[in-house]
Amino acid sequence: MPLATYQTSVPVVVDDAKCIADKGCTVCVDVCPLDVLRISDMTGKAYMAYDECWYCMPCEADCPTGAVTVNIPYLLR
Amino acid sequence: MASPFESYDDLEDADERLQAADPAERRVAIIALGHSGDPAAIGHLARMVDDPDAGVRQQVAMALGEFDGPEAAAALVKLLVDPERIVAAAAADSLAEFKDPASADVILPLVKHSHAFVRMGALRALKELRRKDTLKPALEALQDGDAAVRVQAIGVIGFLKLEESIPALTSLINDPDAHVRRAAVSALAFSHMKPAAETITRALKDEDWMVREMAAETLGLNVNGAVAADQLIASLDDAFWQVRLKAVRSLGKMKIERAVRPIGNCVTHEQANLRKEAAAALGEIAGADGEPFLVMIANDPDPDVRKNARWAQHQIAAKKAKAGA
Repeated sequence: MPLATYQTSVPVVVDDAKCIADKGCTVCVDVCPLDVLRISDMTGKAYMAYDECWYCMPCEADCPTGAVTVNIPYLLR
Repeated sequence: MASPFESYDDLEDADERLQAADPAERRVAIIALGHSGDPAAIGHLARMVDDPDAGVRQQVAMALGEFDGPEAAAALVKLLVDPERIVAAAAADSLAEFKDPASADVILPLVKHSHAFVRMGALRALKELRRKDTLKPALEALQDGDAAVRVQAIGVIGFLKLEESIPALTSLINDPDAHVRRAAVSALAFSHMKPAAETITRALKDEDWMVREMAAETLGLNVNGAVAADQLIASLDDAFWQVRLKAVRSLGKMKIERAVRPIGNCVTHEQANLRKEAAAALGEIAGADGEPFLVMIANDPDPDVRKNARWAQHQIAAKKAKAGA
């Protein structure tokens, strides 16, 4: 799977201010069927490590703080 | 059942984290307790319903939705009356998932609550519990000033499927709110009484197209629906294709042979969904006079329409072969 190099260019964007992964939350990482999300060792926040999103949406729907946004490409809407 | 992949055995540890000063840490502990599936977690979660942070209380409401029974319901009832709408909404969603009839004891008093949202949430929760003693409060709630509450009360009555509630449901056909009329028509589907079928038939003339659509669909489910075959055929000229589609489906289910030609006229409609449904209904009826219409759509641009047309042709051929044999 291709590594996601820039956080702003990937479909799954995590708002660090809202993300509580550094408190132990792993909901988005657990629900992702492609296992593309990770908790950053540097910031303790969730981020998209691999750019292989299926746009299935549970990461956004299940995030307890509403920190995850999945940007669906126009042609898939 | 606990997840086979993870273990949250240490409830004592979770309880300690529930006391953390940081609301985010409390939320994480609540998520873990919800995922544990261990009924012993309910008590720990119930102690968090008065947490000062609304986000934490919302998380408690969501986590309690993983359980069932009176203990979890009692905690959710407290959250349903929470002044924060996000908390109350999460509690209403969780309560609606409950299936244990014993949960009704703690939910029933809220049917008389002063806030419409709470009354609505309570009735919504009672629906799937299917307890006979919920009929009386649900019938009383049909007089509620809030239409959303009346809709949920109809849901409770509809799930109970008791013929004694038919007069109350039929009277709602004149309700000023279209959503209430639509729900009432839907709830009449189970009835074996003639007045129910007559009321649904009257709803085919409702001013709101969604009520007419529900009536057309419900007649196909009602045991006496065939008495309204002529009115359903008339609905094939409805201004809304959605109504026509349900009428086509019901006529197909009831195998009304005199409906073949009017249904056949729908196979050239611009809506592919209606063409697809018409082809399927022609197959259900399997009348030989439906064949010319099926030939017309043999090369339809929509693959689902072509597929249904081929299936319908097979049905007609099979019926002919059976009659010949």
